[in-house]
Amino acid sequence: MKYVKKLVGSGELAQRITMGHNGEYYLEVREEEFIPLTATLATRKCVLIGLFCAEGFSPVARFSLFSVFEKKSAVLIVIRHTGRRAASVAGTFPAASWFERECRDGFGIEFPDAFDTRRLFLHESYPSGFHPLEKSFRNGKIETVQSVDAEEEYPFRPVHGEGVYQVPVGPVHAGIIEPGHFRFSVIGETIFNLEIRMFYKHRGIEKLAEGRVPQNCIVVAEAVSGDESVANATGFCLAVEKIAQVPAPDRAWYLRTILLELERICSHLGDQAGMLIDVAFPLGAGQFAVLREDIFRMNASLTDSRFMRGMVVAGGVAKDLRKEQLAELGKFIARFRKRYRVGLKIVLSTTSVLDRFATTGTIRRGLLRPLCITGPAARASGGKVDVRSDHPYGIYGIFPPDNTILHDGDVLSRFTVKASEIMDSLELLEQLLETIPDGPVKAEVPVQDGYAISLVESARGQNLCWIWIRNGKIERYKVRTASFCNWQAIEHAVLGNIVPDFPVINKSLNLSYAGTDL
Amino acid sequence: MVNALSCLLKKKVTEDPIALDEDIERIGREINRAVGEVFGRSIAIRELDTGSDNATEIEINNLNNPYYDVERFGITFVASPRHADVLMVTGAVTHNMAIAAKKTYEAMPSPKFVVAVGDDACNGGIFAGTYAVLGGADMLFPVDLKIPGNPPTPKEILAGLLALMRQARSDQ
Repeated sequence: MKYVKKLVGSGELAQRITMGHNGEYYLEVREEEFIPLTATLATRKCVLIGLFCAEGFSPVARFSLFSVFEKKSAVLIVIRHTGRRAASVAGTFPAASWFERECRDGFGIEFPDAFDTRRLFLHESYPSGFHPLEKSFRNGKIETVQSVDAEEEYPFRPVHGEGVYQVPVGPVHAGIIEPGHFRFSVIGETIFNLEIRMFYKHRGIEKLAEGRVPQNCIVVAEAVSGDESVANATGFCLAVEKIAQVPAPDRAWYLRTILLELERICSHLGDQAGMLIDVAFPLGAGQFAVLREDIFRMNASLTDSRFMRGMVVAGGVAKDLRKEQLAELGKFIARFRKRYRVGLKIVLSTTSVLDRFATTGTIRRGLLRPLCITGPAARASGGKVDVRSDHPYGIYGIFPPDNTILHDGDVLSRFTVKASEIMDSLELLEQLLETIPDGPVKAEVPVQDGYAISLVESARGQNLCWIWIRNGKIERYKVRTASFCNWQAIEHAVLGNIVPDFPVINKSLNLSYAGTDL
Repeated sequence: MVNALSCLLKKKVTEDPIALDEDIERIGREINRAVGEVFGRSIAIRELDTGSDNATEIEINNLNNPYYDVERFGITFVASPRHADVLMVTGAVTHNMAIAAKKTYEAMPSPKFVVAVGDDACNGGIFAGTYAVLGGADMLFPVDLKIPGNPPTPKEILAGLLALMRQARSDQ
């Protein structure tokens, strides 16, 4: 508490800080107090990890804006109650730009002094004045705009200059990949500017969750991003458990952690295979693709789902794993490690691969904090961030990750960090299998009204989830995946690179379109 | 030292497949035969994501991994809809993707087939009836075959493709 008070500065504000369910701190401020406070927090090197809105949270005003700040292990949620207008913090915390545009689309809150006030997830086909997250809107079919005039089309930032030409890419790409639009401004072959436009897959996840009882909402959390099913379900269930103040039993956390780490390995393997495909080295890619399929099959034999869906439930896990299953997993890991090493050796001794990876797509360390970049992407650029050690949940306090931090920030660093995280996860899995205690795998969690935040380290980085339950039903489900923030790093990472290197840079960041577009 | 060249010249660094999946081989052979009869030698598939949660994409991608390696059965995934015989749609159709999806379909030469893969593409799944989606792929263009699942496994997708080939053969 002392630490958080110090962040806010001395004086009256510090006295008003209260503590939440998950060790987070809350502070309600008036609109005019907010901007000076953010200036203080910025000088104390806090990161803005989320900014979202809820309606009807306070009798004082219609909307409440929650700004979530993080400094090491401290999480401070600053709440301001507001009408349709609020002050923008995007100038101080650039990550806020997308957050605020998201609030504008969802709730109709204007941030008049923001540097970017364009629409975000509501594309041209949505009528003006439509804000799906307003409580007055009942989820259902809407009338869309059938034809869009040229002047109403989304205005990309214009880039002028001698010899600058544009390469528009997407939303439908050449590979088997999710949709998004990339607008390159190129001089010769070199990328001079990139602007990304996302949210083609906006399918209304947050609205869909509203009005559901928590147990029916886990499928929604799993649908946020398929390859983060376990992480997002865990985040959701963790928040529900925090609200009810019923922790999941030990054995359940061991099992959850096994699933979380399997998911991480699976995701990293996919990236590594993809990166190798993108530099035309299928021999190496094949190694990792085979191992990944093995993990998928292991997942299915453990949980009956290749994506381990339906396992994580509020209070624990849906079913226990038998002793033989865990023993089988132990043997699998030993075999896996050996074969993974072979694959890694092939890749790291191939100079043509290293040549394409090294110095490509560099993310400078200075970008991490302003843009809230997390996960392997941050750890390859000198960022010591990992929810598992910064805000340990479940049993990660007992098994803190021993992160490898690299500093070059290029594709090679991200490849190497992921390789080392796979090895770490394998080791952690073995430790878990050795020490897993007996006992129940599920606690009865009564549905209780309240709100809580949870942070989970998915394969891609920090996933934030905030849940507010009212009358036993989800009143607001806010989820911000690591991809939502990390996407903005790519606009910087590609500068000065050539267009043909874009795919490998993109793959090295492994960003989820679905998890961003919601 | 191991490098790409030594992998070719020296002893193999990968072991043989642990077990051949007989189902996959059988389905694959049948597809290969049907593809030969209906399309000549191979079918070209264009994958189109209209709002999936990316699990279905991953499973479709997995069809190309060495376990399945569907190219040996005459199935190729192509970069342009103009080269495609089959459009494989995943995810409920979002409003934001509707125009691009329609254009992709229209860019395909006839005769063309559409396969909806996964619950969301089949009928909208959990998103059916909500503000952000039109519904399943059939809200946008005619769908020849639906492969349900959340997501369907690579084997189920392959079995679906076989069903499509049989359907196309009987329609001839």
